[in-house]
Amino acid sequence: MAVYKKTYRPYEGALTGPLARLWVIPRYAFEDLHRSRFLNTFFIASYIYPLICALIIYVQHNASALGLLGVRGADRLIAINVVFFMSLLGWQSMLALFLASFIGPGLVSPDLANNALSLYLARPFSRVEYVLGKMSVLLILMSLMTWVPGMLLFLLQGYLEGWSWMPDHARFAAGIFFGAWVWILILALLALALSAWVKWKPAAGGLMFGVFFVAAGFGAVVNGVERTSWGHLFNISYLVGSVWLRLFEGAEHSTNGAVFFRVPEGEELPLWCCWLALAALCGVCLYMLARKIRGAEVVR
Amino acid sequence: MSGHNNSLISFENVSRFYGEVLGINNVTLSIPPGITSLVGPNGSGKTTLMNMVCGLIRPTQGRISVLGVSPQHPEKLCRLVGYCAQFDAFPKGLTGYQFIYSFLMMFGFLPAECDRRTREALGLVGLMDAANRHVAAYSKGMRQRVKLAQAIAHDPRVIILDEPLNGLDPLARAEAIALFRQWGDKGCHVVVSSHILHEVDRISDQVILLSQGYVVAEGQIHSVRSEVKEQPMQILVRCDRPALLASRLFAQDHVVEAKIVADSKGLLLRTRDADSFYLLLNRVILDSGLEVESVAPADDDVNSVYQYLIGAEGAAQ
Amino acid sequence: MRLELKKTFLSKRGWWIYFLALGPVAITVLHWLVEARLGRGAGNRHSIGEDSIIFAGMFLFYYLRAGIFFGAMGIFSNLFRAEMLEKTLHYYFLTPLRRELLVAGKYLAGLIVAVVLFGSSVVLAFLTIGRHFGASWTDYLLHGPGLHQLGAYFLVTVLACVGYGAVFLLSGLLFKNPMIPAAVVWVWENLNPFLPSLLKKISVIFYLKSLCPVEVPIPPPFNVMVVDADPTPFWVATPGLLAISLILLVYAAATARTTEISYSD
Repeated sequence: MAVYKKTYRPYEGALTGPLARLWVIPRYAFEDLHRSRFLNTFFIASYIYPLICALIIYVQHNASALGLLGVRGADRLIAINVVFFMSLLGWQSMLALFLASFIGPGLVSPDLANNALSLYLARPFSRVEYVLGKMSVLLILMSLMTWVPGMLLFLLQGYLEGWSWMPDHARFAAGIFFGAWVWILILALLALALSAWVKWKPAAGGLMFGVFFVAAGFGAVVNGVERTSWGHLFNISYLVGSVWLRLFEGAEHSTNGAVFFRVPEGEELPLWCCWLALAALCGVCLYMLARKIRGAEVVR
Repeated sequence: MSGHNNSLISFENVSRFYGEVLGINNVTLSIPPGITSLVGPNGSGKTTLMNMVCGLIRPTQGRISVLGVSPQHPEKLCRLVGYCAQFDAFPKGLTGYQFIYSFLMMFGFLPAECDRRTREALGLVGLMDAANRHVAAYSKGMRQRVKLAQAIAHDPRVIILDEPLNGLDPLARAEAIALFRQWGDKGCHVVVSSHILHEVDRISDQVILLSQGYVVAEGQIHSVRSEVKEQPMQILVRCDRPALLASRLFAQDHVVEAKIVADSKGLLLRTRDADSFYLLLNRVILDSGLEVESVAPADDDVNSVYQYLIGAEGAAQ
Repeated sequence: MRLELKKTFLSKRGWWIYFLALGPVAITVLHWLVEARLGRGAGNRHSIGEDSIIFAGMFLFYYLRAGIFFGAMGIFSNLFRAEMLEKTLHYYFLTPLRRELLVAGKYLAGLIVAVVLFGSSVVLAFLTIGRHFGASWTDYLLHGPGLHQLGAYFLVTVLACVGYGAVFLLSGLLFKNPMIPAAVVWVWENLNPFLPSLLKKISVIFYLKSLCPVEVPIPPPFNVMVVDADPTPFWVATPGLLAISLILLVYAAATARTTEISYSD
């Protein structure tokens, strides 16, 4: 009788579910991130703007507080309207780009550089689960920076203004929630794709910025040379800004988008083109991930 | 520098610290031509020592001379030294041939000479057939061999090999060892670090034992073993009546232990005084006509010396 | 150098540098083709002067501030840092080559790659942006200010590669993460128009801008924030930039001389 038949006893106890297994990746990633003092400080500092916004909402609805300050008519200086919420989302989304550039490159590239990917994929763990596990780190953190404070402020405003304000301005909530998700999904996919292709973390982080700023510059060159607006298709923040405008205001918009996500007047592109360009970007990122996230690398 | 030193690799009070971490401490050594093995647990300072010989890192204090040349002059030193590092890394996109040829060009050889040397080096390690394949597609053993070929292609007098037997199959390992022997016999300085102690034992003319940045022992392995007085010497005596020999030995104070080997044709003993034991053995042979087939030290090798001098502390690492 | 040229020119990882360099050429070629087709019936929609200002804007805002800057960062900061990361630098350090020569060789290889890519890109983009004007464009090039402008743009491109190349070669040797100094330099260079005139002069872009043949108007609302400073004359800007680059290279060579192999860091 073979030795293994005498001694080998397979594990027959209970197993955790696939979702619990998926949680292993972000759990360790969060522990790593928590050790970085810079990231902790950055993350906490990212709440300064929402806190200021909360203060503004409170002061707007508290005449006695304004009276104490001796201010008359200040409630009309900063209106709680579409610009207020879009600016909040724009600012927080820009901070999310910084966060993705700091964290994203460290998610996949070390596994590839140290040939550790096969260790993950040798477990009952698919490539999709690996990517989702890594991506969830970014999605959770960026959610906490963007739509979570946005929705809390929306609720605060609704509470102070009267509950009827919320259904009347449901577009704002939809804009904050879906607009933020469009942005953070793009950022997460891009960060993971670059992290999978560029093994050197700083380079991947730099490239992340490069994709946004150089592509926007390239788009500006197209617009300048060809005397057109179609160059904006290379400008990711323009594309996302266009989507946000529609989400927040519908077809007729009164603003030019949020800070960092401007849609210059007279240079608007059809919305479906913006969606198509964003989908193409996501497709490229997914293709890049599918090419690199493999258990074994074949060198010819 | 004296003429004598021009044939040695010498370290004079060399220390190297990485911040507050000790790499090598106050090492004074002379390495003569032949095969010298560096033995020690991980982190004992073997690679630090080798990197310093090649000028890749500098000593924090002390002086190093490689055949009379200071490692601070890489222009002169690198003609003398060939280094096969432990890193399994190669410049991207090169074939085995291009890898060796390109770096030979940096030595200033003419293209035809580079070509000849490249082919010769690749032939020596048995990689001619794979010369035009990308190094990235080589197996681990092939990558190890192409590194060896690159290290010796410029015909250096000092060959530094950091874990050169790693990843080699038994046949390739035997071939590599034969090559080291050949270089050693030619009068080259071959400095090898390895964890495969029985092979170190076979190839080394001398060993340097390192532990935690200190040189614990150096010299020929027999001399080193005889210096380790606190550990009783193990001797295996193959003879026809081991029980008789054992009974006579137990009367001696210097014999710590004696046991009859499994086939009852020999006795393994541990003694604190080998010379007294040999005298006694002669007497037993004369008195009782004991037929002795062989007498050999049983712990006169690198493995035993390593255990005695570095022991559990090294094993734990 | 041959090894470096092969690595940099044929590197799969360098595809984005090709994209940075050749992207504008694709746009100007497209412009030529579109305008030639549209202009056949109705005449040209705009003048050579307009196109020359558009090119000047493209050169200043795209090539100098983004393309050449990031391209040089990709090429030069990798010359040593990538070798350290891939644990292959010791192969170079184990050759009987003076480290100073190694630095010079790598820098020259990087410079050749950068100048070939971005120099040819600038020349091609300039030649094609007005190609649809036909004979009048040829006349502008040969008998007008065109050739002088082209020469000036090429010279500025070469100087930009020389200057940024030296900066990034040094940062690749000194910093484990050269992206941080690169980001600082980028922000500094981009803030240049808004800096006081004394601070303006501590940047590469200021001297390069002085050498550009066509002035680019800053669009509103930024135009109100711009601080004017006297442009530096050619005979100061060019040797000045070369001298600063030389100092940086000498420092890089001295750094390489004392660089140790410590891949574990």
